[in-house]
Order: sequence, then C-alpha cells, then structure tokens
Amino acid sequence: MNEIDPRLLEGLRALASDGLREAPVSVETRLLGELRKRRKVARRNLWIALGSGTLAAAIAIAMLLGSRPAPGVVTPASAVQESAQADDDSMDDFYRLPDTDYLPPMESAMVVRVQLPVSSLRLMGLPVSEEQAGDSVQADVLLGQDGLARGVRLVE
Amino acid sequence: MKDMMQLRFTFALGLAVTGLAMAQGPRGGDFEFMHARFGMDKVVKGAPYSAQAVTQHTQTLADGNHIQTSTTASVARDSEGRSRREVTVAGIGALAGSSQAPKSVFIHDPVAGASYILEPATQTAHQTQMHQRSTSTESSTETAHAQHSGQRAHSRTDATTVDLGTQVMSGLTVQGKQITHTIPAGQVGNEKPLQSVTEIWYSEDLKTIVMSKTTDPRGGQTVYQLTNITRAEPDAALFQVPAGYKVTEGGGRGMRGPQ
Repeated sequence: MNEIDPRLLEGLRALASDGLREAPVSVETRLLGELRKRRKVARRNLWIALGSGTLAAAIAIAMLLGSRPAPGVVTPASAVQESAQADDDSMDDFYRLPDTDYLPPMESAMVVRVQLPVSSLRLMGLPVSEEQAGDSVQADVLLGQDGLARGVRLVE
Repeated sequence: MKDMMQLRFTFALGLAVTGLAMAQGPRGGDFEFMHARFGMDKVVKGAPYSAQAVTQHTQTLADGNHIQTSTTASVARDSEGRSRREVTVAGIGALAGSSQAPKSVFIHDPVAGASYILEPATQTAHQTQMHQRSTSTESSTETAHAQHSGQRAHSRTDATTVDLGTQVMSGLTVQGKQITHTIPAGQVGNEKPLQSVTEIWYSEDLKTIVMSKTTDPRGGQTVYQLTNITRAEPDAALFQVPAGYKVTEGGGRGMRGPQ
C-alpha cells in the first residue's frame, strides 16, 4: 500500500524534468481579480463589523444615560426658583420624585439633609431594588411648604 | 459623582409602600434629620401676613390602622417681600423622623439679597447670598398663578382639573381647583388604575396657597393649611439675625456640595 505505483513515479519524474510550469496569463489575471474581490469583501465586512460594534456601544450608552434619573429636572416651583437661587447650591442635581407634577406648586422650599434607609425612598415613590433596601444613605431632600418631598439628591 | 451615586440605584419596578420599610428606619423612624441646608421663598411685595402653617399627614395601613403626623410652622412675610419660616421637620410626607428634630428658621431677604438659616440650638446663622432673578411681584405672581391655574396639569393627558369655585377660608377669599391624576393600570406594576387627587385653595390677596390637600393611595393624605392669619405688618425683627448669633457664610452646613 505504501509502495508507489511505478507508472505514477515515472509520470512525476517526467513532470520534474519538464521545468517550472506557469499558469497561463488569463488564469493568473482571473485569479488575482478574484483575490482582490475577496480582499474588498473582507475589508467591507471588517468595516461593517467595526461599525456595528460602535453603533451597538453608542446605543448601549444612550440607553444607559436614558435610563438614569434625569438630573436638573427638579423645578422647585418656578415661582420660587425665579425669585431667588442660592449662589452656593444648585438644584440641578436633584432627582425629581415621581408624580410631583400634581402636587401643589412650591411657594416655599427647604432642603434638609437626612440619613435614611434606602428602603424609605420607596415611600417617596422611588423604586428601589431589594438588594439595596437594607442600606443606609445620606440625602438632601427638597421639601415644599406642605412638607411633601419634591426631589432628592443622594449624598453618599 | 453625584450622578453616579444616583446611577447606583437600580430602579426596579414597583412602588410598593410597605410596612417593613417603615420599620427599618434609623432608630425606629424612617429618617434622621441632620441639618437644614437651604431655603427659598417666593417673593411677593405688598401682601404682608403672618400665620401658622399646619401640615397633617394621615396614612391608612392595610389592616385599617392609621398613622398620623402633624407639623406646625410659623410663617411671616413683610411688605418688602422678606419672608420667614420657622419649622421643625418631624416628617417628610409618609416618612416619620426618628428623633426630635431641632427647630430651623429660614429667612429670605430679597432686599438685602441674602438668605439665612438660623439654628437656635447653637445660636448660629448660616448666610447665603442670593441671585435675584426676579423680585417683581408681577412675575412671581404670574408664575404662581400659571401653576395655580393648572396649566401644567392640562398639558398632560392623564390629569384633569376641575374648578372648585371660591370660598372664604380664614377670612380670605380663595379660589379652588382639583387636579386628578390617574396612573394607568400596569404603569407602576399596579393591577388597577391609581388616582391621586390634589385640591388647592389659593388667595389672590395674599398671593399664596391657603389650603391644599393631596390624597394618594400609596402615600396617604396630606393636608396643608394656613391658620391664624394676620394681615398686619410683621415685626421687622423677625427678618433679621438675632443679636448674639454667630453668622457664617455659605448657608447651611455643607452648602457647597454634598459631603
């Protein structure tokens, strides 16, 4: 089985003695053209892959940013806000509590710092995961004249 | 950084108000008051008054039990638009404080362009310089009135506003309206639609809310009312830092940012 067929051996020797053989020019042209075409497709696929990755990353970032509480949405009573604003403190980073649009307009506002369990934020209308419910947190709470919270800013 | 702090909260579904949460607060309450940081007031000129502002919160538990808290603040405003609010923050809506919070006094002086938080316990006044975006009565009043007339509520399709007409409360003619906000079923994990109702009674003479009532099945009922209203010019001393107080710049403790 391992023995080489004498006729095949003879043929190979004849081929070797015939010198280097080249493919016809037309075949070479076609082959190179095909290779270039494949390289173009590969390059295009690479760009598509890179583009898709970038797009996916951009969408992920946008979704992440979109899902976070929007800072600066607390409008502590336009009337109050228009009348005066502290130089030193900013209302921009308060998280507006849900459904506060329908509370009485704030004519007077107070910001107090409190220490509270994260679970208590539920009572202000903030959904809190069970994992964090047992934690304690310091927060600045924006209160209206009626003592109801309009916004919260976590401190730690 | 603060945003990152906010991001750390996983905003899961559900707005459950549980008795368990009530029992997990520091030292048995829902929160512990640390200190006042900041105060603001609407600037209204030419409508002085002083009154008691009473806030009562009632929560009905699943077993029919009730939790009631009441907070009284002394409020005053002079003809120049200076205002003062003296309050003990014993509760925040449905949240109850764990211990006796100290009294805080908020003074807003648009004439001097400064605000103060007085801490009677330590005889300290924290001063904050204020921007004056608008000190005219008109602009403030217009904004307040726009809010009062329910423009914001009308812009949302899930709220309806009903004119309640006029009444006389504490000797003042007040205009009332009722805003009903409906949260459709399923929006916050609720099986059935939830309705919160806010009633507001506004005095054109004082340019202020005389009474408001907010009822929400999740948080209970909060009634805010001005009582013992006196329309005489309040004592000017109420809007000044008392003698002997140490004045510190920068408003309440840690005014320059969360710590």
